Amino acid sequence: MNHIVSVRNVSKNYNLGQVVVPALRGVSLDVAEGEFLAIAGPSGSGKTTLLNLVGCVDTPSSGTVIVDDKQTGLLSERELTRLRLHTIGFIFQSFNLVSVLSVLQNVELPLLLQRVLTARERRERVLALLDRVGISEYSKHRPSELSGGQRQRVAIARALVTQPKLVLADEPTANLDSVTGTNILDLMKELNHSEKTTFIFSTHDARVWAYASAVVRLADGQIQDRVSAEEAVRAGGLPAGRPA
Amino acid sequence: MRGYLDTLKVIVQIALRNLFASRLKTLIVGGIILFGSLLVVVGTALVDSVDASMSRSVIGSVAGHIQVYSAKSKDELTVMGNMNMEAPDLAPIDDFAVLRRTLLGVPNVKAVVPMGLSSAMVTAGNTVDVVLERLRDLARRKLAGENVQVAYESEKDHVRQIITVLSADMDNVRKIQNEKAISQDDLAAVAKVASAEFWAGFDRDPYLALEFLENRIAPLASDADMLFLRYLGTDVDAFAKSFDRMKIVDGTAIPRGRRGFLFAKWVYERQVKLKTALRLDRINDGITKRSQTIAGSEELQRWIKQNTTEVKEIMLQLDGQKTASFRRLLQGELGKQESDVAKLLAEFFRVDDANFARRYRFFYDRLAPMLELYRVRVGDMLTIKSFTKSGYVQSVKLRVYGTFVFQGLEDSHIAGELNLMDMVSFRELYGSLTPEREREVQEIKAEAGMKEISREQAETELFGKPDLGESAVAGNAQRPVDEADAALRSLAGRQQREDRASQPYDPAQLEQGDVLNAAVIVKDPRRISQTIEEIEAAGAKAGIPLHAITWQKASGLVGQFVTMIRAVLYISVLIIFAVALVIINNALVMATLERMPEIGTLRAVGAQRRFLLGMLLVEALAVGVLFGSLGALLGAGIVGVISAVGIPAANDILYFLFSGPRLHPSLSPANVIISLGIVLAVSAISSIYPGLLAMRVSPRQAMQSDD
Repeated sequence: MNHIVSVRNVSKNYNLGQVVVPALRGVSLDVAEGEFLAIAGPSGSGKTTLLNLVGCVDTPSSGTVIVDDKQTGLLSERELTRLRLHTIGFIFQSFNLVSVLSVLQNVELPLLLQRVLTARERRERVLALLDRVGISEYSKHRPSELSGGQRQRVAIARALVTQPKLVLADEPTANLDSVTGTNILDLMKELNHSEKTTFIFSTHDARVWAYASAVVRLADGQIQDRVSAEEAVRAGGLPAGRPA
Repeated sequence: MRGYLDTLKVIVQIALRNLFASRLKTLIVGGIILFGSLLVVVGTALVDSVDASMSRSVIGSVAGHIQVYSAKSKDELTVMGNMNMEAPDLAPIDDFAVLRRTLLGVPNVKAVVPMGLSSAMVTAGNTVDVVLERLRDLARRKLAGENVQVAYESEKDHVRQIITVLSADMDNVRKIQNEKAISQDDLAAVAKVASAEFWAGFDRDPYLALEFLENRIAPLASDADMLFLRYLGTDVDAFAKSFDRMKIVDGTAIPRGRRGFLFAKWVYERQVKLKTALRLDRINDGITKRSQTIAGSEELQRWIKQNTTEVKEIMLQLDGQKTASFRRLLQGELGKQESDVAKLLAEFFRVDDANFARRYRFFYDRLAPMLELYRVRVGDMLTIKSFTKSGYVQSVKLRVYGTFVFQGLEDSHIAGELNLMDMVSFRELYGSLTPEREREVQEIKAEAGMKEISREQAETELFGKPDLGESAVAGNAQRPVDEADAALRSLAGRQQREDRASQPYDPAQLEQGDVLNAAVIVKDPRRISQTIEEIEAAGAKAGIPLHAITWQKASGLVGQFVTMIRAVLYISVLIIFAVALVIINNALVMATLERMPEIGTLRAVGAQRRFLLGMLLVEALAVGVLFGSLGALLGAGIVGVISAVGIPAANDILYFLFSGPRLHPSLSPANVIISLGIVLAVSAISSIYPGLLAMRVSPRQAMQSDD
């Protein structure tokens, strides 16, 4: 099986003034295409840092991160941006839609940045996707006119509109109530199946694990283990470390 | 390409919607930009228009495009508007013909007008002097056997009338001030001429009596104000041709080859005219042109007060017959039985808003025809005395041919204070030895047999006896009273000089003599600075080191006025846009900081840095273009309205700057282009720092989870 993401012995340190804070310490991880991978861990365990590195938003202090066969540490800022644009979709905890653009424009934005499709092709793809995530009737609305769940659907559509190989979701259900969160996860899982898109999402919500093809448990910047969803649910909680 | 356009579209859309989302901030920033561009458009349009109109004024009146003078001069040349009234100290250029030839050798030079600037105190038109001179003339003709008895008696009446006025005036002064305000000698003199014996004996020896009147009485009638005249000696023909704004108002131009004097109408009206009439004119101007009311203006009230208290000026002009006419007319007009004309006049001049227009008309229609409205009339001889370079007094007697104005500058003293004189007379006053004068000196020398003469006598010998006006002012020049024939001889001598003054001169003299400066009219005014260099080079080559200066410089403070206004305008524009820059910059920095997560998101989903930079730039430019255009449009509208209505020239300096009674500014494309250019530059510059800030935003900013 091909690995869309390959993390090898990666460390990441942040400089806070004079103090060097290690966020990740020697992490190695392979993600196969089509996975629906959850990264679990308490706050401060390094979930977001790992996502940043995989998402080409950041580069490692040591070790290598390979995304879609490209070693991110060797890429320039522009190349990293291009890699994000064409290969990765992002779903954020706070949805992060552009407030002054309509739903349709928000979803279309990555396509505009890609400059590959014509206006008509873009429109067709966006409308189809909005239909797919169930908010086609809101295409003209501004994000502020939508509920949290609807906004996250827009964000999912935006993440998928470029047909990326990899979608990263940072605590996608954290700002949603449980019913809505479940619906969103259903949708993501469904897209994972139908589009064969690889999903990696960080979470400390145990309910989410049930959906995952595997759960990577992080603590103190290190991977504790990689277990199946059933195991994770059976373990019934977070790995040892600081409480959430 | 299409992709770029669509991307640009979304950038613009995001930018505009962001602007709309923060409306208040946008409006504040936009308001400043709007005001700034409005100021630039209106300000530059006004300053440009003033510049253009003022240059028309300066170039068209005296300065020409370029003024040329000797590089050896001590002072810098200013032809108008200098603060001290002294003419600048210039070294003469010996031969105008050479200068003209040299200047015309420069390709861009169209015409050269010789010039010299100087000033003189002129005594003119003491009413008493004029009357006494007329009486003296009549006495001479009577003695010569002409039949002038009626005129002679009438003039005598007039002199007695004058004495009555003087006597009453003195009594008033003694009453108001004190007994000692007037010397016993003066009182005795007036008492003497007021006595019946004096007049009984008058016909026996008119010259003796006239001497006494001239020496003792005329000086007491203090209306003989000195005229301070600034004059320009020039080739009057060439002047009129090169400065076609010049128009003769009264009289004629100085004929070619004649000596003569032209009053600037402005000077003539304000300095030569009867003061009472001048004040009435000013009150009339205030009411009709500036919408003032007598009740509401202290200035008008002051003039009225002066008119009511200074009726002596008119009284002195009235002989018996005129006194009677005035009494009758004023009694009728005022409906009063008062017989004292002085009191009637005072009453007449005590005008108010209701009766002013009627009385103003009455004064000019009924009273003025009996008065000498001007102390010097067109056709009179004017004695101009001036200090020559070497310090002694030179005097020239010139016929006043008329008055002139520069069209469009009628009410401006800057253009209106210079009177004109022929170049030959100017040279004489300046102290140059003209061929004519040289000949005269030779004749006098021959006549006098080269005798040793003292300096004081030399002047008298050279320039003839001072005329009556001077001796009257001098007052104490006691001459032996019984030398009637000496007086006659002096009269004859003056006659001779008057003849000479009215003799034509050879126009070639204009060319040959010296000049102090020269006005140069060029063919292409855009090449002035180049022409100046060429002129100075040509002068150096011809052995006459020259300074050539632009009309701006030649017009002294006036020329710098527009530069000053322009500097003020530019500084205020600079300040406004500096403020705008800071505020726009701040607004954009705030916007950037507020939008960090959004910018981070855009970066995360794949927007390159230049996308963000473009977004901010478009934001700044959109505000700039929108409000800048609005401001420019509004400014253009304002200029349009101002242009249609015109800015009234409230005072004579503005009159000169506006080159007429109203400024109608015009808008040039340059005004608008400059305004928009500045606005765009400011907008672009102010988005640099926020742009840099936005570019530094990491896509990590989008990830808000808690570690």
